[in-house]
Amino acid sequence: MNDVLSGALVRLSAVDPDEFSKAFTGWRRDSEFMRLMDAGPIRLGSQKDSQKSIEKELEDEDLNQHWFTIRTLADDKLLGEIGLFVVSWPGRDAFVGLGIGDRDFWGRGYGTDAMKLILRYGFMEVNLSRVTLTVFEYNPRAIRSYEKSGFSHEGRLRRYLNKDGRRWDLLFMGILRDEWLEQNR
Amino acid sequence: MQARLLEYEMKDLFRGELVRFTAEEPEFRARQEARWARDTEFHRLADSDPAQLYSDKKIKEWIEKNFEDGFKPGRYSFSIRALEDDKLIGFLGLWLNLIHSEVWVGIGIGERDYWGKGYGTDAMKLCLRYSFMDLGAQRVSLGVHAYNPRAFRAYEKAGFRLEGRTRQDIMREGKRTDSLWMGILREEWIQMQNGEQR
Repeated sequence: MNDVLSGALVRLSAVDPDEFSKAFTGWRRDSEFMRLMDAGPIRLGSQKDSQKSIEKELEDEDLNQHWFTIRTLADDKLLGEIGLFVVSWPGRDAFVGLGIGDRDFWGRGYGTDAMKLILRYGFMEVNLSRVTLTVFEYNPRAIRSYEKSGFSHEGRLRRYLNKDGRRWDLLFMGILRDEWLEQNR
Repeated sequence: MQARLLEYEMKDLFRGELVRFTAEEPEFRARQEARWARDTEFHRLADSDPAQLYSDKKIKEWIEKNFEDGFKPGRYSFSIRALEDDKLIGFLGLWLNLIHSEVWVGIGIGERDYWGKGYGTDAMKLCLRYSFMDLGAQRVSLGVHAYNPRAFRAYEKAGFRLEGRTRQDIMREGKRTDSLWMGILREEWIQMQNGEQR
């Protein structure tokens, strides 16, 4: 049995509302980060505002939500967040969301490593049958990272997004338990 | 590859041959449960706690708290009505372990005129179909007192097997008695439905 919460570059840690809201308030000022994370219009907000909503999220102590912060193994720096949200228990399907807030760590394998950890957690701890995600067409770095983590392209909502004066597709990707087991034998 | 049903047609999962599963108004169910609780034999067969009496109001509050307070993906509760006369005769509760896909079931037929006539067996068959075909369970488990052979036979008829016993953990009428643990796996249930020999 390995430590399922530690990978090659990062580890998954508990969400501390105080620490995480401070970090997120900083990342949130980076409009590029926010556009890659969220399809809605970007907004700014105070740390207090973030902290309140994080605390509210953490109130639901049920098995539907598995939410972590991401820290570097090298110096324990908080650089992002990742969460699994079980959409259907009979189907054992969960939606995964990932954000690397600190742009110094973009494109260097940190997100891919975190995704590999959450997949192991999802399939080996939560016993899921599949994991699903959505990603924006204008985020090729994330798409490549998800492909590297083992996700397949499953479909797209054509011209779903409207950013920078043009329309973009919303892509659906997924990975089945059997595929993950095959990749991780 | 998981075992599959040879023939599968969408069925009304809440309707069997003798009973159907229903949701009742808390006031009504509480009235019946309070009446059943006055039958200490029923209480002893269904529960290992000392027989106690509760008011209709207390039971209604308990029902509202447990069954009416929003959807919980691990908790399912039904009332049982006989098809022939639509009488409310009992209840059945399921606890689904979300991570391990295991269901724990508890059942009580409170109306003693309906004991030993197949109503409980039919309700358990419905419970198994619901657990395996709707909840995605891999096994269903239950516990029964050794002094309740009628229930034990009903569970066997529905497909459960004896898996173990806790010896002499219950003290009833000055005598120590065993708790029996029964279970059925998804594959076993599928085989039963397909008419295969075990």
